Amino acid sequence: MTTKRSRRRRSAVPYLFIAPFLVIFAAFGVYPMGFALQLSFTNWHGAGILKFTGLRNYRYLLTSPDFWGSLANSGIVWLLVVPVQVIVALAIAVVLMNSRFKGAFSAALIAPFVTPLVAMAQVWIIMFDTDFGAVNHVLGAVGLPPVGWLTTVAWAKPTVALLVLWRTTGYAVVLLMAGLQSIPPQVYEAAKLDGASAWRQFWSITLPLAMRTVSFVVVIGTLTVFQLFAEPYVLTRGAPFNSTRTAGLYLYNHITNSDLGLGAANSFLLVLMVFALSLASVRLLRPREGT
Amino acid sequence: MITLGRIGRYGFLLLVAAVSLFPLMWMVLSAFKPGGDVIARPFAFDFDQLSWTNFREMGHTIPIGIGLRNTMIVVLVKGALTLLCCPMAGYAFAKFDFAFKRVLFGTVLTTLMLPTLVLLIPLLLEMSELGWVNTFPALILPGAVDAFGVFWMRQIIAEIPDELLDAARVDGAGELRIFRSIVLPVIRPGLAALGVLTFINIYNDFVWPVVAVNDTDHQTLQVMLSGLARAAVVGQLGDAASAWGQLLAASTVAAVPVLIVFVLLQRHLIRGVMAGSVKG
Repeated sequence: MTTKRSRRRRSAVPYLFIAPFLVIFAAFGVYPMGFALQLSFTNWHGAGILKFTGLRNYRYLLTSPDFWGSLANSGIVWLLVVPVQVIVALAIAVVLMNSRFKGAFSAALIAPFVTPLVAMAQVWIIMFDTDFGAVNHVLGAVGLPPVGWLTTVAWAKPTVALLVLWRTTGYAVVLLMAGLQSIPPQVYEAAKLDGASAWRQFWSITLPLAMRTVSFVVVIGTLTVFQLFAEPYVLTRGAPFNSTRTAGLYLYNHITNSDLGLGAANSFLLVLMVFALSLASVRLLRPREGT
Repeated sequence: MITLGRIGRYGFLLLVAAVSLFPLMWMVLSAFKPGGDVIARPFAFDFDQLSWTNFREMGHTIPIGIGLRNTMIVVLVKGALTLLCCPMAGYAFAKFDFAFKRVLFGTVLTTLMLPTLVLLIPLLLEMSELGWVNTFPALILPGAVDAFGVFWMRQIIAEIPDELLDAARVDGAGELRIFRSIVLPVIRPGLAALGVLTFINIYNDFVWPVVAVNDTDHQTLQVMLSGLARAAVVGQLGDAASAWGQLLAASTVAAVPVLIVFVLLQRHLIRGVMAGSVKG
């Protein structure tokens, strides 16, 4: 203990090592964050002096149907993405864990995650086009009428959600596999000796012990969905009838409208919501006993 | 019974892999087809019909070479900054005591949880104050030191035994020398994973670049691509047949470099993702 103390004496060394990080972090991380907080209490539009308006932005947003509408849109996309993703990714991860060619399959699964979002969003526009798209082409071939995937209120959200699911499920699978790998094999051996079926093993061992990773996947999914911007920006710009104007896109609209104070307030409200939602899902999915 | 289960299992995995890869392969193959064919026969591929026509037309509409160059500049400089600053800061956090260390590390952890969207507005204003709108510094400096990278490097470096570093100090090695010839080589696998993740993140970054630059000379590939998509939607590229050919060609150009890096280095990436989940 004493040797440790003396060795870790205060010197200039750590400051030199941390300086490059600190300069950039302070200038482009901490400073703008403080500025954003200050802006959220003003009605600034990008020029002139800051005029404080107290909580007016927050009050405006919390009573604005557009703000709640954007949150509701994100909420529906969340419902379409996260539960499906957890179930599908868990199934794939469990099957993949006990298979050969694990590396090749995980690579195939995570490839959509690394391809540029903007490029894939364009492929989505083309594949899901109402008049000429490949998907409606297939529907036509089996005698079904064309669907307005990106142009009708009913289908626009699911089509956006499908892109999110397709891009991020492989990432969830890899995360879950990391969690499953940490389960000691002895537990399964003991269960087999007791004659537990594969199905039983999944419910009594795999699922409870993987719950920490599952809640991590849920939190990442929540962050992704409530910050969703590029997908609806490229696919629909919020159309039709604002049905895909997600929380992230609504926030961006404040910038294009030069409502910068309002936008800053909106981003902090969004942070609070995302934080609350993440916390709630972690609580809800916490394993009942131990760990 | 066992073989039946095995067939089912690999059948399931093959199906999943096919769903995962299909849109990518369809994009690349369709980019070489005549635009009209993408519409009329979306799943047919006549190998004698394939050509570079779409790529040539797309090259006339957007200066994709400039976009590629801009992206490369940003990836290289920003990536180098990340790979330099993160392990250095991680070393300081892991192995030294200094004033305000706890407060500072707490701040790093907090920013880890904040969405990037929060910083969009103030950063944009900061850029215009500095006169950096439409410049490379605007694209490079914000986000150059990733809080996750610092946190992750700290975790890895903390696992290096103190004795190893002390032995070098006794031998009279300077701190910079220790960092270079002991710390960096030991954490090389983690550093490689951070490198791949950083490359992919910066290459695909869209939200900040689309806000920070709007002139062609500084637009990154992704921003240029979304501009092309917009032009297609409002009908500036002619009918769907010619617009789609160009869009598919541009998407392919944007996707191929990152896919090559991914195929070459995917093992590092998957290890990085897994490390992130266990440590995070």
